[in-house]
Amino acid sequence: MHYAILGNGVAGIEAALGLRARDSEARITLVSAEHEHFFSRPALMYVFAGQTTLRDTEPYDRGLYDRMRFERRSGRVASLDAPGHALVFDDGSRLGYDKLLLAVGSKGRCAPWPDAEGEGLHYFVTLRDLEALDRAARKGMRAAVVGGGLIGVEVAEILHDRGLHVTFVIREGWYFPAALDANESALVAEHMRDHGIDVRTGATVDRVVRADDGRIRALRLAGGVELAADLVVSSIGVEPSTGFLAGGALKLAANGAVETDDALRTSVPDVWAAGDCANVTWVDASRRPEQLWYTARDQGRAAARSMLGDEIAYHRGTWYNSAKFFDLEWTTAGHVPATVGPDGSAVAPLPGYRTWFQRVPGRFESQRIVVKGDRVVGFNMLGSRWNHEPFLEWIHERRSLEWVLKHLAQAQFDEELSPGFRIHAGASVS
Amino acid sequence: MQAGLMNTYQQPMSSRLWPAWVLSALLFAAYVLLYFGPLPALGLRFDLLQRVAEVAGQALGLPVVLHSKWILYGTVYTLAMIAGGAFVLRRHGNSRYQRVRTVTVVAVQVLFAFMLPIVLQVFGRKEYYFSYFWPLKIEYFYPSVILEQPFLIVFWSFAGSLVAFPLLAYFLGKRFYCSWVCGCGGLANTAGEPFRHLSSKSARAWSIEKVSIHTVLFLALVATAIVWINWAVGRAHPDFARFAFQVQDWYGFAIGAMFAGVLGVGLYPLMGTRVWCRFGCPMAALLGLVQKLGRFRITVKKDMCISCGNCSTYCEMGIDVRAYAMANQSFTRASCVGCGMCAHVCPRGVLKLENKPLRWKAGQPIRVYAVDL
Repeated sequence: MHYAILGNGVAGIEAALGLRARDSEARITLVSAEHEHFFSRPALMYVFAGQTTLRDTEPYDRGLYDRMRFERRSGRVASLDAPGHALVFDDGSRLGYDKLLLAVGSKGRCAPWPDAEGEGLHYFVTLRDLEALDRAARKGMRAAVVGGGLIGVEVAEILHDRGLHVTFVIREGWYFPAALDANESALVAEHMRDHGIDVRTGATVDRVVRADDGRIRALRLAGGVELAADLVVSSIGVEPSTGFLAGGALKLAANGAVETDDALRTSVPDVWAAGDCANVTWVDASRRPEQLWYTARDQGRAAARSMLGDEIAYHRGTWYNSAKFFDLEWTTAGHVPATVGPDGSAVAPLPGYRTWFQRVPGRFESQRIVVKGDRVVGFNMLGSRWNHEPFLEWIHERRSLEWVLKHLAQAQFDEELSPGFRIHAGASVS
Repeated sequence: MQAGLMNTYQQPMSSRLWPAWVLSALLFAAYVLLYFGPLPALGLRFDLLQRVAEVAGQALGLPVVLHSKWILYGTVYTLAMIAGGAFVLRRHGNSRYQRVRTVTVVAVQVLFAFMLPIVLQVFGRKEYYFSYFWPLKIEYFYPSVILEQPFLIVFWSFAGSLVAFPLLAYFLGKRFYCSWVCGCGGLANTAGEPFRHLSSKSARAWSIEKVSIHTVLFLALVATAIVWINWAVGRAHPDFARFAFQVQDWYGFAIGAMFAGVLGVGLYPLMGTRVWCRFGCPMAALLGLVQKLGRFRITVKKDMCISCGNCSTYCEMGIDVRAYAMANQSFTRASCVGCGMCAHVCPRGVLKLENKPLRWKAGQPIRVYAVDL
């Protein structure tokens, strides 16, 4: 049996480990054009900042591939020959397989603005993106970072750390509206401005302005304002790196992701997909990829079981996530409805929902608890550390707001000696 | 809670580039001069540092008893800790744990390992370092040294090493000493901060460490026992007395001077700051064994690790913290000195140092909840 895994990221390597754990004989080949060792993609910002080396971000020791007898093949795959059970590389060579896992991940969504593509336009998703930005970004330059999401804030932080003047251009009325409400976002924006970032909300990009020699000169916003810029980083989201599959036998969704069933099988025999490139069913029944580290790992493991013949159904549990906005840590769990839609328009509060919120006086810290009827269904915690596991348990146990507030300190996960959770006078329910 | 970014690898000094090698060579030279004084083999016929101390002492008009290279060394050491402490507060002071810990370890150095010994000497008493204990300070169990001291100090030394330390290590972990009190750890966690990431995280280093640190502990116990036996029976057995003095000398040279001093600090810029604490310190070995049985633990928040490697990179003891975080495994490692930096630099708040019992089910991934929301 020859298992080929296209993609040496977290989904790919976890699948390979899952296969090897159950099948000590099989030939397992990992194919990657990016790097010969598995590294942590969310850690790329620390590599750029010189806080870690790329090698520090490799989660496993380098002996792993030998110990596990994983073969490695580096190169770019040009197409999939599904009937012939082979990957075709751009140099024309082929790699046959008995079973294939597509774990190709995603890349930065193409900047859609006129004159954007070319020198000075950057993304920050892949190792190549990191290398390009590392070569280009010099102290004293002006950078425009477009896109108010998680990658945008990381790029703003590392460019600012390097000594660039950073303008953070956000289309929506506030930063990260998919997860933060107006109060929380104001707090994050204030924190970013404190760090010296020029945060522009409600700013739609009109075009990139290039000088006669082709270099980027400015970013023009709708309304005519021009932001002087030497480089532009587009962080308006990611899309599956499935271009090489287009037009082939394998079914892709309109969003470019590989369609999979509950067992992560694709539309063609003996091919599975996992991670950022795979469309899965969400709790709300929508079909989207889960572009998260934890779920890519879980999907990789689930795909391995499926490839080994287990009857599985991949289902994500209750939502949780965490991130960091400069020094502010953010933990979320359960159902925290967005208060602004993807198009920037306000979303009416869901019927029967209430929100408990407090901003801790004198600190960049807030807590938001979402209540549906008489039970708590969601948490959004900013600026302090929380263990999401009790949150998920309490949601599962249908705890009331009063009960949760009484026990909330148990879930606090800050370093010892940190200020403990307490309810302040300004706490409100709305 | 991490404050901004550290740019560690952008500094040549912190990246094992040539300035690091130069500094390492200078530190080696300074410690060799300190411990071994005149080096006729190298053409140095007088004790250079002692001469410097005497000239400086006279220039400053200090009492003659302070005209000693050891006072000079203590001064430089303490100043390095104060400067390094200020650096740490600037960099990590947004964490209250780091703030309190850094201020404490520097204050202990200034008061108990620097000022108090000087005061004692100025008043004609034997010097005594109240923040050092057997078996790190092995001579504080040597009868010839400790029994010269007043009863209170004898009590402090024995009750400290034999009663208080095991109890404190059981309830708080060895960090109460190694990263809150001890001067060796104190220098590492202040002036040594720019080098903490250089510790080897390899499994090989871990296996060497387990053998070497427990070997030193064994040697310390044996040396202490021999010295006590000699105290009891040495007068009647001059051959044994000679042997006991040789053991004492040899331990002082090999472990006290070479390992703890020359290698321990000299290797800072190349192998990280805790070479002595990790591979050699008998106190760390002893407290580590207690720690394994005790309450201290690093709790791992489940399924939240992004495997970025900051925790492992910045572990000065070379513990591959990430491996535990990725495996959802709360853990206690004997070597962990509880500096708290892994928790501090974690961008997802996955780690927490604790002495309390685990609250949530250990070892398993988060249940997949089927919640109808």
